[in-house]
Amino acid sequence: MRPAPATVRRLLLALLLLLWELVPRLGLLPELFLPSLSRTLGVLVHNWVEYGHALAVTLYEVVLAMLIACGAGILIGAVVGGLSRVRQLLLPVFSSLYAVPIVILYPIFTAWLGVGSQSKIAFAGVYGFFPVVLSTAAGMQSIDQNFLVAARSMGASLPQQITRVVIPASMPTVLAGLRLGGALAIIGVIVSEMLTAAAGIGYLVSKYRTVLDSPRVFAAILMILALSVLFDALARSLERRALAWQTAGRRDRGLPVDKETYASATLPA
Amino acid sequence: MQRVANLSEPGAKEAQAAAIEVAELSHVYQGREGKVPALEGISLDVVAGRFVVIVGPSGCGKTSLLMMMAGLRRPTTGTILCAGRPIDVPDPDRIGVVFQEASLFPWLTALENIEFPLSIRGAPRLERRGRADAMLNLVGLAGFGARYPHELSGGMKQRVSIARGLVQDPPVLLMDEPFAALDEQTRMTMGHELLRIWSQTNKTVVFVTHSLTEAVYLADEVLVMSPRPGRIIDRAEVTLPRPRTYEMMATDVFGRLRERIWQNIRKVT
Repeated sequence: MRPAPATVRRLLLALLLLLWELVPRLGLLPELFLPSLSRTLGVLVHNWVEYGHALAVTLYEVVLAMLIACGAGILIGAVVGGLSRVRQLLLPVFSSLYAVPIVILYPIFTAWLGVGSQSKIAFAGVYGFFPVVLSTAAGMQSIDQNFLVAARSMGASLPQQITRVVIPASMPTVLAGLRLGGALAIIGVIVSEMLTAAAGIGYLVSKYRTVLDSPRVFAAILMILALSVLFDALARSLERRALAWQTAGRRDRGLPVDKETYASATLPA
Repeated sequence: MQRVANLSEPGAKEAQAAAIEVAELSHVYQGREGKVPALEGISLDVVAGRFVVIVGPSGCGKTSLLMMMAGLRRPTTGTILCAGRPIDVPDPDRIGVVFQEASLFPWLTALENIEFPLSIRGAPRLERRGRADAMLNLVGLAGFGARYPHELSGGMKQRVSIARGLVQDPPVLLMDEPFAALDEQTRMTMGHELLRIWSQTNKTVVFVTHSLTEAVYLADEVLVMSPRPGRIIDRAEVTLPRPRTYEMMATDVFGRLRERIWQNIRKVT
C-alpha cells in the first residue's frame, strides 16, 4: 500500500529538522552558517522576553495590515468587479499596480509616517491590498448569471440577490484572494521591519545579522516561519469550513469522487 | 382523464379561464447593427391546467417569450396577463420557473435549494422545512435532501429544480428546456416523471423544447414558432389520451403529429 501524502509530508519535515540538528553538529557546516536546531531553540527560550516582545509588535502590525488589505480590498474589489463601467476604467490600473514592486515606495512611507509601526502597517496593507482587489473583482465577475436570473424569478430583491447569491457565489475566489493578501501582508511587515525599524521580528533578523550572531538570526527566522505556516493553516481551515459544500460527500462520507457513478446508482434519473 | 373530456366538448375550452394571456406581443432588441426584431405579433392563451409546449428552431425567441411570461424580461409592445393581472416583475406566487440546467445554487443542499424561494419571502423555518420535504417527496427524491447539487446526477438536479419551482404552489409552471442537457434515456424518464407530477398537482405548464418527440409526448397543445422574428405559425392539439405511455410513441397519431410539426418548422427555416 502506498503511504498517504500527508504522512510522507510529515516524515520529510521530521527529516529536515533532523538534518538541521545533525549537519552543524557533525561539523558539515560551520555554526556561523547554520546553528543547530537545539541551539536556535535555546536562544528562543533564553531570550523569550526580547523575542516575545518582538512577536507582539509584529503580530499587531500584521493584524492591522491584514484588516486594511482585506477590508479595503474586498470593498473596492466588489465595486470594481460588480460595476462594469468602473471595471473597464480601473481593473487594468489595479492589474498593472500589482506588478509594481511596491517595496520601492517604502522609503516614502517611512518619510511620511516615521519608523514606528504606522509605516509598516500602511506599507503591508498596501502590499496585501492588490491580490484581494483582483480576486474579489474576479469572483464578482465569474458569478454565473443564471444564478441571478433564478433568484429574481423566485422574487429575490436586489439586496437579497447580493447577500444570498453574489456573496456565496464569489466566496471561493474571494477567500483565495484573502489568503494570498494575508500572506503578502505578513511579508510586507517583515520586509519593512528589516529595512527600517526599531522593533519587531524582522528588526531582530537584521540587527543580529549585522553582528554575525547566527543563532539569534535563526531564532527570529524560525519564528517568522512558524508565524506564516500558522497563518496559512488557519486560513486554509477557515476556507475549508466556509466552502464545506465543495467537498461534501467526497470527504465526509467516503463516497467515490466520481459523482455520476454513485448518484445514478441509487436512482434511474 | 378530466382534461381530455373537457377538450373533446366544443365550447368547453372557451368556458375555462386562461392562466396566461399574451396579446400582440413583440420584442425588438438593440443588436450591433441596429434594431433586431426578435418576436412579432405573438398572441396566445394558455388554458388553466393545460400542458402547452412551445417548439421552434434555435434562436426563434422561444426562451425570450418564456422569460417575458416569467416577468424576467420586458416585451417591447404587447401585454402578458397571468391570472388576469399583468406580470411586470417576477411573482413566484403566480409563476414558478424551471431553468435549463445548473441554476441550482451549488452552496446549498437540495433541501435548502427548494426552500430558497420560501426563505426569500421570510417564511418561518418549520413551514419551510415542511413544504420543502413535501416537494422532495413529490419529485421522488425523499432521503436526498442533504445532498449538494454536485452529489446529484443530472436528472436528480432537474427534479430538485422542479421541486423548487413548485414549492410556493404557483398555479403556473414555466419550463425552459429543462431536460436539454440530459441523455436521451434520462430525458424520457424525466418527461414521464414530469407528467406524473403535473397530474398530481394540476398546474398549468408552459414548456419550451427543441425536441419534437418530447413535445408531442408531453403536450396537450404544441405551439410552433418560426425563426427570427419569432411568430407562432402552428398550433397542434395532441389528442393522445392520458396518462401517456411510451408505447404511444409508436402509434400513427404520434407519428403524424410529429411529422406535421416537423414539416411546419422545415417550411420556414
